[in-house]
Amino acid sequence: MTLWQFFVQQHTEILSRTLEHLWLVAAAMSVAVLIGLPLGIALVRRRNLRRWVLAAANVIQTIPSLALFGFLIPVPLLGGIGASTAIVALALYALLPILRNTYTGLAGVDPAVLESARAMGMTPRQSLWQVELPLSMGVILAGVRTATVITIGVATIAAAIGAGGLGVFIFRGVAMASNAVILAGAIPAALLAVAADLLLGLLERRLAPPRTSSAASAVSE
Amino acid sequence: MKPSLMDRRNALRLAAGSALALAGCREPTNAILVGSKNFTEQIVLGELLAQQIEAHTSLRPDRRFDLGGTFLCHQALLAGQLDLYPEYTGTALTAILKEPPANDPAAVYQTVRNAYRTRFHLEVGPPLGFNNTFAIVVRGEDARRLNLRAVSDIIPHAPQWRAGFGYEFMERPDGYRGWAKTYGLAFHSEPRIMDLGLLYRALQEKQVDVVAGNSTDGLIAALGLVVLGDDRRYFPPYQAVTVVREATFDRHPDLRGALDALGGKISDDDMRQMNYALDGQHRDVTAIVRDFRAAHRL
Repeated sequence: MTLWQFFVQQHTEILSRTLEHLWLVAAAMSVAVLIGLPLGIALVRRRNLRRWVLAAANVIQTIPSLALFGFLIPVPLLGGIGASTAIVALALYALLPILRNTYTGLAGVDPAVLESARAMGMTPRQSLWQVELPLSMGVILAGVRTATVITIGVATIAAAIGAGGLGVFIFRGVAMASNAVILAGAIPAALLAVAADLLLGLLERRLAPPRTSSAASAVSE
Repeated sequence: MKPSLMDRRNALRLAAGSALALAGCREPTNAILVGSKNFTEQIVLGELLAQQIEAHTSLRPDRRFDLGGTFLCHQALLAGQLDLYPEYTGTALTAILKEPPANDPAAVYQTVRNAYRTRFHLEVGPPLGFNNTFAIVVRGEDARRLNLRAVSDIIPHAPQWRAGFGYEFMERPDGYRGWAKTYGLAFHSEPRIMDLGLLYRALQEKQVDVVAGNSTDGLIAALGLVVLGDDRRYFPPYQAVTVVREATFDRHPDLRGALDALGGKISDDDMRQMNYALDGQHRDVTAIVRDFRAAHRL
């Protein structure tokens, strides 16, 4: 059986696993952004917090996903087996790029600009919403974009904890020693990653046309 | 061991392993090449064969462990690049002889033994004692409370139970589908399908009530879990044996006695504990095997 025939034959499951995969990624990214963005903003205001939070986010990256799942199984509400554990783990992994880019973006805003905002009588809150966030939007979105692409790849591990997604094909294929089955998970996941990168790239250009050199240099971080 | 992902997981190592195995040239006559596949249990068994040979013959074992899979070990044996290695009857039957799985351990053993002799001039030694097949595992407390000994005993509880299985168990022809049918099992919900290592954890944390593992998994012993007997004899046997070149026995007649002494000496539980000592406690394999041999006066 050729790979193409296999894809045609399995298209309903491939489609439903792809949707499952997207849901896992969307849920995890929502959690990560809801936590990472405010936390990133807080890091700029409270620099003593910064070291600890970024160190913690770094450490999380080094925990192997299977070990993280193992830790989460006994945790009530968040853990167990199934989608919730997978989403918590994926959100934790997505946190670092979001946190770091949010912080870097905000910290990179020209002090002269902040000074003039203050001189114009803006409150810190107004300065944040009307000056700092718009100016650092490009860097922040670049972090979200990186995190999304990474999460689409990492989400294949969700199948190890019974959460479904495209990883199911990969695990099943390894168990059956079937390349066709592995590729039925790997190819759609790769396409999703490329598509997400393009879409978020468009969004980034819409919301934050490149302007300052500080933003451009921070993107590459 | 079932021909499994473990055989395949280290596909990359296969290249390195084969290069090493095949590059070795024929040693002087008192050297004997002991092989093993590339997972924990095979390393332990390879070390056991090597120490047994060291203790009871004048031969000098050359350890060629961690070879990338069944096929590679078999080819190395045929080519004279190995003299012996540990194998499993069910694997030999299906992966080497390409026959369908069968259920009777004695019949499988005889089929493999005869075919290996006539087709390959290889001798299959007496079974070492344990059987590494799928194992249906429950928590020790449940087994005691509900008096569970065999898979049939869980049939009345299955409608309230949640099951957790690995991908391999779900996909293999000797796995889930036939098993559930043979025992007429219907669980509370669809089985949770997940990674085997996490399954034991999920069982311990009561996220699931029954899982399918491998009968010699070290965690079974370490977590106080109980393996249920396969009373309807659904799972094919994967008895551990040694496979030895006939030419090697001809050259070294004293080898046979040393190896035959291992027959029936390793129980499922012995193997679990040795696997756990290496995998879970990270003890040195030489010491693990030395202790086992001392305890069994080998």
